[in-house]
Amino acid sequence: MIINTRASRRRLALTVLTVFAIVAVFVVRLVDIQVVRAADLTADADERRTMQVTTYGVRGSIVDANGVVLADSVERFDITAAPNNANLDDTWLTRDGERVKVPTTEAIQAIADLTGVDANSIYQILATDREAQWAILAPAVTLDVFKKVRALQIPWVYSELHPARTYPSGAIAGNLVGFIGTDGPLAGTELKQDECLAATNGKSTYESSADGVRLPGSTIVQQEAEDGGTIHLTVDADLQWYTQQVLAQQATAMGADWATAMIVEVKTGRILAGADWPSVDPNDLDSVGNDERGARIFASPFEPGSVMKVATFASLLDQGKITPTTQVTVPGIYTEGLPEGASLKDSWAHGDLRLTATGVLVNSSNIGTAILAQKLSTQVRHDDLEAFGFNSDTAVDFLGESSGSVLPMDQTDAITNLTQQFGQGMSATSAQIASLYQTIGNGGVHMPLTLVDGCELPDGTWTQKPSTQATRVVSEYAADTTVQMMEVVATEGSLKNVLKIPGYRVAAKTGTAEVAENGSYGSDRIVSVAGLVPAGDPQYAIVVTFAKPDTMRTSAAAAPAFNAIMKQVIKTFRITPHTNGAPSLPTVW
Amino acid sequence: MSAATHGNLAIARPLRRPAEAPAAPPRRHLEIAPSRAQRRARPRLAHAVVTIAGIGVILLVQLLLSIVLADGAYQISALQTDQRELLREEQALNEQLELLGSTQNLTANAEALGMVASGNPLFLDVATGGVSGKGSKAVKLPDNLVGNALLDGSMVIDPAALAAAQAAEDASGDTGLHVVEGGTPAATPPAPGTLPSPTTH
Repeated sequence: MIINTRASRRRLALTVLTVFAIVAVFVVRLVDIQVVRAADLTADADERRTMQVTTYGVRGSIVDANGVVLADSVERFDITAAPNNANLDDTWLTRDGERVKVPTTEAIQAIADLTGVDANSIYQILATDREAQWAILAPAVTLDVFKKVRALQIPWVYSELHPARTYPSGAIAGNLVGFIGTDGPLAGTELKQDECLAATNGKSTYESSADGVRLPGSTIVQQEAEDGGTIHLTVDADLQWYTQQVLAQQATAMGADWATAMIVEVKTGRILAGADWPSVDPNDLDSVGNDERGARIFASPFEPGSVMKVATFASLLDQGKITPTTQVTVPGIYTEGLPEGASLKDSWAHGDLRLTATGVLVNSSNIGTAILAQKLSTQVRHDDLEAFGFNSDTAVDFLGESSGSVLPMDQTDAITNLTQQFGQGMSATSAQIASLYQTIGNGGVHMPLTLVDGCELPDGTWTQKPSTQATRVVSEYAADTTVQMMEVVATEGSLKNVLKIPGYRVAAKTGTAEVAENGSYGSDRIVSVAGLVPAGDPQYAIVVTFAKPDTMRTSAAAAPAFNAIMKQVIKTFRITPHTNGAPSLPTVW
Repeated sequence: MSAATHGNLAIARPLRRPAEAPAAPPRRHLEIAPSRAQRRARPRLAHAVVTIAGIGVILLVQLLLSIVLADGAYQISALQTDQRELLREEQALNEQLELLGSTQNLTANAEALGMVASGNPLFLDVATGGVSGKGSKAVKLPDNLVGNALLDGSMVIDPAALAAAQAAEDASGDTGLHVVEGGTPAATPPAPGTLPSPTTH
């Protein structure tokens, strides 16, 4: 009995110990898995089960004042392949709804036919690196092509989304819209307004079943994709097209180097058209030369010539120094107060002329303007030019904008000091000239030049509202009287037959500027016509400029384009014909 | 316990077994009568059946629910794919529409149909019935000079094909233009500066 008891006790103890040992092993293992390596294992498991997806936000579009799309985001697809999975001898594909085994070259030919990529180069991509897991066969194909390639169901062919940009209006406002390169926006509004336009890509994860179906309720959004905002430009695409068309037509006919035209709404400073010739087609950057892809209207200052006289006359009227009928005797050559040997001349030879102030403007006499300008102190002349917006960027603050130059008084000689008053020895961009005419047309009140009406975010809120800060530069009397004097340019000036539009009152000023090259003025000219319509109550300021025309080197070269654009403005904005006649101002005495 | 010791011992008479007490009549099994509450509290088979069945039903429902849910997941997945495809389709069509609506395409088509640009602006004054402004000859616009690399001329209407289509339509008696009837006739003359126009769609 005792022996039995002892044996059984020992056995029992052994059993208990063994059980405890086994339990201890399990516990250790359990702790190891559940506590020690828990984080690693969970991550490992998640990785196998969890799919991470990038959701793409859509880059905002750029539209004109009427909502016409100038730049839009589209989806393109990169056709890719896994060369390591591709058998170069034969492969499966679906043809007419049936799976068939065909030689791989045939499959390659099918892809080549659809995408337009050379079949040989596709073969090379597959054959060169047989270990590669990824290679691109055809970049950025359209949905149509992508669907057809997908329908082939070739096992080693894949696709990737490739967000792209399209410019349905082509070169219309291409200078203002800008363009995008492979790594992001490169020019114009695309770059300048990138903050508004850019989208934020989102990230989310979900757990998927063995066959790739998303498990219900397992989606975790780490970051929502956010679409970009829409940039509303102030330009009118149709008017912009017409302006560019007229520029191209006239510039080609005259062999000009370049041409610009702007239409600005006088009461608001909004740019309704800002045309350049040549102008880039953002769909095809090679459509123009490398240095013609920007917006010359903002970036290229030039000596504007006599269109600047309007600023001088407005200053003189504002200071009460002249009236439209102030009498001036204009000599054929002017040397008074100038250094030894220096003189001013007019563009045509004449003896002493008895002109009124209006007559000086109508005949565009440099000498007459210089004589009148000296009624103002140099300080006032300089300050007024700066107040009109010269020597500083416009409120548009376009990418690469130039502020032109009006030299400070202490850096100018006696001649430049005077020539600045008729647009030589200083420089300005087309935008600055347009801004000057806006101010004159708006009763002397300068409105900030505007190109962007705002950024409309996807939730409908608007940001980046343009400034509407009005600044008075000259008195209303001075501005309105200047417009009346400009009207005589259109009714009695040498270009009256080209400038007039039956039934409408037009105010205009011409300019034929000499171009300084290598330190001296040559025979090349920059010709402009700037004006306001309707003259009775100016609504639109128009500036047209052609640089270095070959066949005609006077402002007569710019007048037909100015006239055509003005007619289009009248039709576009339905300006009604005038009912009262133009005021008559004497030009001689 | 040897046999020699036996003779010395008087044979003791065993005592009579005391008479047994008269046997009492067997006691009936007594039980405390349960109160109504106690009787009610006693577990019943029915309850067990109900509980087990309940658990079974719950498990079954859970199973069905997860089947339906999984089925829904597949359905959602399929619909999401559909939606994505349709959105892409919409985008592609929109892209085409924008291109068709581009000024360059419209002018090319207008020219192909023989349209010309008007000259001087003219206005019809509805109030007086007169025309203001001085007319000039309509001019043919030169070919479009504002490039658009996306257009290849394939979207320009062929006037001959259009005429043929028109002829075929005329033959079938449908003009293709439907003017809404019954709109209130202009009882009041339109305000000066506005043009009366029929409502068409």
